[in-house]
Amino acid sequence: MGYPHKPHPRETVVLSKYFGDADARTYKGWVKRGGYEMLAQALTMEPAKVIDIVKESGLRGRGGAGFPTGLKWSFMPKEKKKPHYLCVNADESEPGTFKDREIMRWTPHALLEGSAIAAHAIQAEVVYIYIRGEFTEPWTYMERALAEASAAKVFGAIKIYLHRGAGAYICGEETALMNSIEGKRGNPRIKPPFPAAAGLFGMPTTINNVETLAAVPPILKQGAAWYKGLSLSSPKSTGTKLFSVCGHVQKPGNYEVTMGFPLKDLVYELCGGMRSGRTLKACIPGGSSVPILNREETESCLLDYEGVVERGSMLGSGGVIVFDDSADMVYQIMRLARFYAHESCAQCTQCREGTAWTTKILERILAGQGKMADLDLLLDLSENMTGKTICVLSDSCAAPVVSGIKRFKNEFEDYIAGRRKPVMVA
Amino acid sequence: MADELINLTIDGAPVSVPKGTLVIEAAKQAGVLVPHYCYHPGLPVAGVCRMCLVEIEKAPKLQIACATQVAEGMVVRTQSPQAKQGRMGVLELLLINHPLDCPICDQAGECELQDFTFQEGRPATRYSPDYAKRFNPVEDFGPDVLYVPNRCILCTRCVRFMEDVAKEPVLNVSERGDRAFIGIHPEARLDHPWAGNVVDLCPVGSLLSKDFLHKARAWELDKTASICTGCSQGCNVTLDTRDNIVVRVRPRPNLDVNRYFICDHGRMNYRWMNRGDRIEAPLVQRDGELHAADWDEACERVATLLRGAGGRAVALVSPKASTEALFLARELFTGLDWRGAFQVVMGEEAPLAGVPNLALRAERAPNAKGAELLGYTRDYAATLAAAESAAIVLVLDEPDLVVRTAGTLIYVGTVLPDGARAATVVLPIANVAEEDGTFVNRDGRAQRYFQAKPAPGMARPAWWVFSELAAAAGRGERIASADEAFERLSASVDGLRGLVPA
Amino acid sequence: MSVTAHPSSTPEGTDAYDPVFSGAVLEQLGEILARYPTKQAALLPALWIVQRARGWISDRNMAEVAEVLGLTPAYVKGVVTFYTMYHQHPVGKHFVQVCTTSPCNICGAEAVAKAFLETTGSKELGATSPDGKWTVIEVECLGACGFATPVLVDDDFIESVTPDKVPELVRKYK
Repeated sequence: MGYPHKPHPRETVVLSKYFGDADARTYKGWVKRGGYEMLAQALTMEPAKVIDIVKESGLRGRGGAGFPTGLKWSFMPKEKKKPHYLCVNADESEPGTFKDREIMRWTPHALLEGSAIAAHAIQAEVVYIYIRGEFTEPWTYMERALAEASAAKVFGAIKIYLHRGAGAYICGEETALMNSIEGKRGNPRIKPPFPAAAGLFGMPTTINNVETLAAVPPILKQGAAWYKGLSLSSPKSTGTKLFSVCGHVQKPGNYEVTMGFPLKDLVYELCGGMRSGRTLKACIPGGSSVPILNREETESCLLDYEGVVERGSMLGSGGVIVFDDSADMVYQIMRLARFYAHESCAQCTQCREGTAWTTKILERILAGQGKMADLDLLLDLSENMTGKTICVLSDSCAAPVVSGIKRFKNEFEDYIAGRRKPVMVA
Repeated sequence: MADELINLTIDGAPVSVPKGTLVIEAAKQAGVLVPHYCYHPGLPVAGVCRMCLVEIEKAPKLQIACATQVAEGMVVRTQSPQAKQGRMGVLELLLINHPLDCPICDQAGECELQDFTFQEGRPATRYSPDYAKRFNPVEDFGPDVLYVPNRCILCTRCVRFMEDVAKEPVLNVSERGDRAFIGIHPEARLDHPWAGNVVDLCPVGSLLSKDFLHKARAWELDKTASICTGCSQGCNVTLDTRDNIVVRVRPRPNLDVNRYFICDHGRMNYRWMNRGDRIEAPLVQRDGELHAADWDEACERVATLLRGAGGRAVALVSPKASTEALFLARELFTGLDWRGAFQVVMGEEAPLAGVPNLALRAERAPNAKGAELLGYTRDYAATLAAAESAAIVLVLDEPDLVVRTAGTLIYVGTVLPDGARAATVVLPIANVAEEDGTFVNRDGRAQRYFQAKPAPGMARPAWWVFSELAAAAGRGERIASADEAFERLSASVDGLRGLVPA
Repeated sequence: MSVTAHPSSTPEGTDAYDPVFSGAVLEQLGEILARYPTKQAALLPALWIVQRARGWISDRNMAEVAEVLGLTPAYVKGVVTFYTMYHQHPVGKHFVQVCTTSPCNICGAEAVAKAFLETTGSKELGATSPDGKWTVIEVECLGACGFATPVLVDDDFIESVTPDKVPELVRKYK
């Protein structure tokens, strides 16, 4: 559902079935709606069996990386020698993305149930749900739901705790998230070791996104084959995805569609299209860390992992940011660069210095002091910032810069040549 | 399995190293120094500077050599265009905010940022003058350490040293992104007994020693291997001299003794090596006064006393004297009723928690063990009493000692104390910076130190002095070199038998 | 898990320090500590407790937290300065966070921030208003991009704020 909109007929409502239904937030309400049955069932199954089902379903990580979930779970040691941990990544901070908050504030029990099933599958006795500090409302609902469900003893021996973040986008990176739980600066870790070998507190750990885990109870209920069958284009992309559409559309919101759904239809039909008198200029399909698509690419793009790659971008978190012709692409790319510069943890030289310099160059261009050489400089910097750091924040800053210069070069040149008035002061 | 060797190729050269070796270490075997900053063999791996990017066949992206373990058949190329471009990119980004301080920066000449920029950096800046460099004022971190944030490249070696090696996390990384700097809590000071190592570890001129500030340029320094005289740990050091003055002491790596570190006590304990108030000529007692003489006269004076001497000989020696000197001083009195003793100034022990068996030791002298092996005891009071009725009393470099004796007093030392004015003969010797010698540390490890500067005036190494005295008295052969002195020593002392200078 | 309270001490030349972690608050920390295998993992929760109690986290507070959790003050400071939601100095009675990252930016977020500054009388972002009631800052993506512009006023997450709604919003908070 695109709250506060009623579900569009072309949506495939699975995760969003109870968005807007206040009763579904309560334990009793959730149970009435069939909640916690799958958890009870899963707890009687062999962990390996649960993993097989999820593997079969084709569910892939919905946080941005799209890594096959069942495969990720299978990396955990089969033989239990040490404590295992499940971390739930509710740090949702990727610009353009606002789906996990909806799951948490409308269907907190869906997340709790999915997390508990996952914990059972990976033999984790403790689950930490890492919720970003700014999500005060989702926190309240999660806290309430956790208290109710715990009192009803549905989780068996599994302990679930909420852990509050304190303002750092980088803590959405799985290894930084673990460091943050451990009471450290949210610095990503070098890999190896991988979390399944040595993660939280040095123990085998799996980190999953909120939306990924919320999909687990339905998969168990309706079967892997059902989930696998939900696929409009690439067979490697299955199930439904909550696409958070924002920016210059009539009806921004979360829309749940089957994988492979045409981006064009999402924007023009489900979201009501452009504002009056405006045309689509650009679209970032997967949260700000993926390349920007121009209009042609947007209108011919299928929304699954493979389809978006084909158009030169990535599905990422599914945060669809729509820019119409009124948008100043240079300014917005600068604003994104500034975002990354603000969020850089400071470990890697390329990211720490490169995000800041990129921002400064763009600010100068916007202040009317840019040079043509600046575009080559930006591309060169972006090259140095890609594929050479501990995590991909650095690459994420480069993505809009490179794709922006490639597709909207004229806007940059307008500022540099003085055809466009400066909008900033140097 | 522990000895399993992995074979790989680095820049075309075949390399064989134990399993688990990091590529950056394996590269050393191929004679390749992979440029790096945050990596240090004495610290846990961080992998943050990204300077050590290398190309590894079959890997889709450049890898950091400091965090990649060797694999059988791995092919590493450190000089591929891609790798060099990656590293050039890192250098450029390190330099955009780094001030052009080289002319006033202590690190110049021993700066790894300079070195690698010359080697593979960009020839010109693309940042200045269009963009302003970050500016923060210099901070005083504590007793000896200054922090210059502008020059900091955030390699975090200092933070990791204090956290993981000193086990006292008093430094942190503060803030985030390009606002980050090395911070310290306002209520804290960098006064850990081993904190000075952060200055050595800092690859650039960001952490500076106040003691060394603006004292000398790195290229003006002569470097000599030595052993610290601060305590009985026997840390290996390098004495840096400029115009024959010791201006700095730095650790010398020794994986068995001090790893890569020395404590601040040893680090600051060198000014005495430059003292000007030295005895510069042999002195002999004549008409109630000490008069300068030459070595022949002085030796002859002592020889006369020793020839046909009987009775008791007492030696009160400094535990800072070389083992060779202590040995030959003992040999000098063969046949006499000899007793020798030493006393050691004690202080508080200060371990470096993250390294086994490494501490500033309570015994504040480097050669107490050497003296023990040679039969000197710690019965100082008793020996002092015995000296009163001894025929000959030898005092070796103990300026604070007041000896009462009915016999002859021979003072051999570096400075002339009032207590030696009654001596029959005063013989000037070299200090630790002015001779080759050996100390035996508390673990029984014999370690060599070397001459860093000339001894003043006519002062000579103590081993030479005792050898000359023995020869003049017909009690021994002349010894020609420090090496020969050691050979004699190791041939006859348990605990040192069979040792050969490395 | 039992915790030792920080002994109330009078640092030289300063006023007596009133510890945060005593009585019920100390017990609360004890419950939190039971969730983790290390004391250090309770650091972020402990810092939230301090900020809730005192409005911000001073160097002295950091030293107290360090002592209670067996860490060093420098370590705690390193963590505090990493996370932007922890205030390192006092802020206005109400703390306003306006998202201005691109998705909200193209929907007029900067105008919302400006409206807050004007309405509250704060001269600039990050500064506290003369009457001490307001501090307004711009923040990065608040994760509510479809409800531009989202604003956090203290712990209240308010969606779909536009400049014209700001005066009424400010009036609500006294």
